Amino acid sequence: MRRPPPLGRWLVVALVTAGALVVFFPLFWMAVTSLKTPPELQRVPLRLEPDRWTNLDNYREVFARQPFGRFLFNSALVASVSALSSALVSSLAGYGFAKFHFPGRQLFFFAIVGILMVPFQSVVVPLYLWVSRFGLLDTYLGILAPDLVSVFGVFLMRQAIEVVPSDYIHAARIDGAGELAIFWRVILPTVRPAVATLVIIKFMWTWNELFWPLVVVNSPPMKVVTLGLVSFTNMYFIEYNLVTAAAVLSILPILSIFLLGQKWIVRAVVMSGLKG
Amino acid sequence: MRRRTYLDRQRRAGLLFVLPALAYFSLVFLVPLVESVIASFYRTVPGGASRFVGLRLYEKVLTDSTFWQSVRNTLTLLAWSAPATIVLALIVALGLHRLVSLRWRSVWGAMYFLPFSVSLVAAALIWQWIYDPVYGLLNYLLSLVGIPPQKWLQSLDQVLPALAVTNIWVRLGFDTMVFLAGLQSIPGEYYEAAEIDGATRWQCLRRLTLPLLNPQILMLSILELIFNFKIFDQVYATTQGGPAGASQTVIMLLYDTAFKYFRLGEASVMAVFVFATLLAVTLVQWRFLRRPVEY
Repeated sequence: MRRPPPLGRWLVVALVTAGALVVFFPLFWMAVTSLKTPPELQRVPLRLEPDRWTNLDNYREVFARQPFGRFLFNSALVASVSALSSALVSSLAGYGFAKFHFPGRQLFFFAIVGILMVPFQSVVVPLYLWVSRFGLLDTYLGILAPDLVSVFGVFLMRQAIEVVPSDYIHAARIDGAGELAIFWRVILPTVRPAVATLVIIKFMWTWNELFWPLVVVNSPPMKVVTLGLVSFTNMYFIEYNLVTAAAVLSILPILSIFLLGQKWIVRAVVMSGLKG
Repeated sequence: MRRRTYLDRQRRAGLLFVLPALAYFSLVFLVPLVESVIASFYRTVPGGASRFVGLRLYEKVLTDSTFWQSVRNTLTLLAWSAPATIVLALIVALGLHRLVSLRWRSVWGAMYFLPFSVSLVAAALIWQWIYDPVYGLLNYLLSLVGIPPQKWLQSLDQVLPALAVTNIWVRLGFDTMVFLAGLQSIPGEYYEAAEIDGATRWQCLRRLTLPLLNPQILMLSILELIFNFKIFDQVYATTQGGPAGASQTVIMLLYDTAFKYFRLGEASVMAVFVFATLLAVTLVQWRFLRRPVEY
C-alpha cells in the first residue's frame, strides 16, 4: 500500500487524536467535578480544574449519605458469582456441544442461540412473579436469578473448545480418566483465554446492570451500585458534586478490570461482531 | 457390542454436559416467555385474581396513544443514534487503521473504547451534568460563542437528540472495534491490485473497503437497532420519560405499567410486542447475513 503523503498522515493523526480527546473528555469532566465544592460548580466563568486536587469531601459525603461501601460490596459479590457460575456452566455446555454427538444436539444448540433473541424485558414480569413466589425478593439469589449463565458464554465456549484437538480427549480417555476429570484437567486449562474473556465480560455486564436489580431490590442494604447511583438523583435538586463522586466510585473498579483485560474484551467484541 | 456401549456412554455424557445450561435457560427464559404470552390474554385484578379477556388487552394497548407515542419516541431515538454511531465508528476505524504504529493504534483505540465499560446509568448522569441548563458545560461553551442557553434534557424537542448523543458516546468504541477488526482482515494485496489498476483512494474506499465491510455494517445495524430499541437505563436515570412524555420509550412504559401501576396484563402485551418486533428484525438479519461475503 502506498504510504500516504506526510501532510495527509499528520491530518489523520490529528483527527483521530482530537476525536479520542472528545470521547475521553466526559470521563475527565466527571472526575474533576467530583473534586469540586458546590460553589465551584456554580462559578462563572467555568474553570476546568478544581481549586484543590486533593479535595475528597464529596467522597466522604457519598459514604455518609448512603451505605455506598455496602453497594460496592453487593455489586462485587453479585458480579463475581454471576461471572464464575457463567464460566463454569457455559464451559460444560460448550464442551458438550463441541465434542459430543447426541440426539438433539443441533436442536438444543439452536434453541439456546434463539434465546439471544428474547429480550430480557419480555420475560421480566413472569420472572419477577416467580422470584417473589419463592420469597427471593431483596436477596442476593433473587438479584442473581437471571444472571447465572449467559447465552453468549455457551456460544463463546463452544467456539473455543471446538478447536481443541480431539486427540487430547481420546488420549485422556485411554488413560482411564473420567469425563468430568477430562473436562477439568484437559479442556479447561487449554481454553483459559476464552474463560478469562467470559469472566471479565460477564462481570462487567452484571456490575453495570440496572433493570433487574431495580425490579427485585427494595431495601437500601441490598442495593447494587447502579441503584445507589440513581438514589443520588431522586431529589428535586441534584448535587452533581456528589453524583459524580458516586459515579467515579462505581466506575473505577470496572475501569481497572477493563484496562487490565482489554485484550480479552476486544477479542469478545470481535467475535460477537463477526460471528453474530 | 463394546463399541455400542461406548457410544451410548458418550451420548449420555454429552447430554449431561449441556443439561445444566438447558435446564437453566428453560426456567429463566422459555417458561417465562410462554407465561408472558399467556398473561397477555388475562386481566389481573388487584388481589391476585385474573380473568380471561381474549384479545381485549391487545386492543386496549394497540389503540392507546400513549403506547404509540412511546413507540414513536423509541424509533426517533433509534434514528438519531444508530446511523450516526455506525458512520462515526467507520470514520474512526478508518482513521485508526491508517495509523502505522500498532502501539498508538491500540492506545487511541482504547480511548474510544473506554465508555463501553461505563454503566449506562453513570454515562447518562455524566451527560446530564454536561447538559445542565444552568451550570452545565455545554451551555457555558455555547455562551462563549453567543448562543443562548438551551434546556436540552428538559426540552420537548431536544431531549431525544440529547439522549442520542449519550448513546453514541457509549456505543462508538464497540462499533469501532468491530470495524477495525474487519479492516484488519482485508488482505493488503487487494489494495495493491487496485493501485496497479490506477484506482484512487476514494475508489478504493467505495469499491473495495465498503463492500468488504458489508457483514460488519449489517451486523452493527442490527445490534444498534436492538440496543436502542431496548433503551431504558439512560431514560430512567435522567428524564424518567419526561418532559411530558417526550422521552417515554417502550421499555420505560413497560416498566411503569408493570411495576408502578401493576397492570401486568397490559405489560405482558408490550412484552410480546417487543419480542415479536425484535424477532422479526433478527429474522430479516439472518436473511441478509446468510449471504456469504463476496471476495
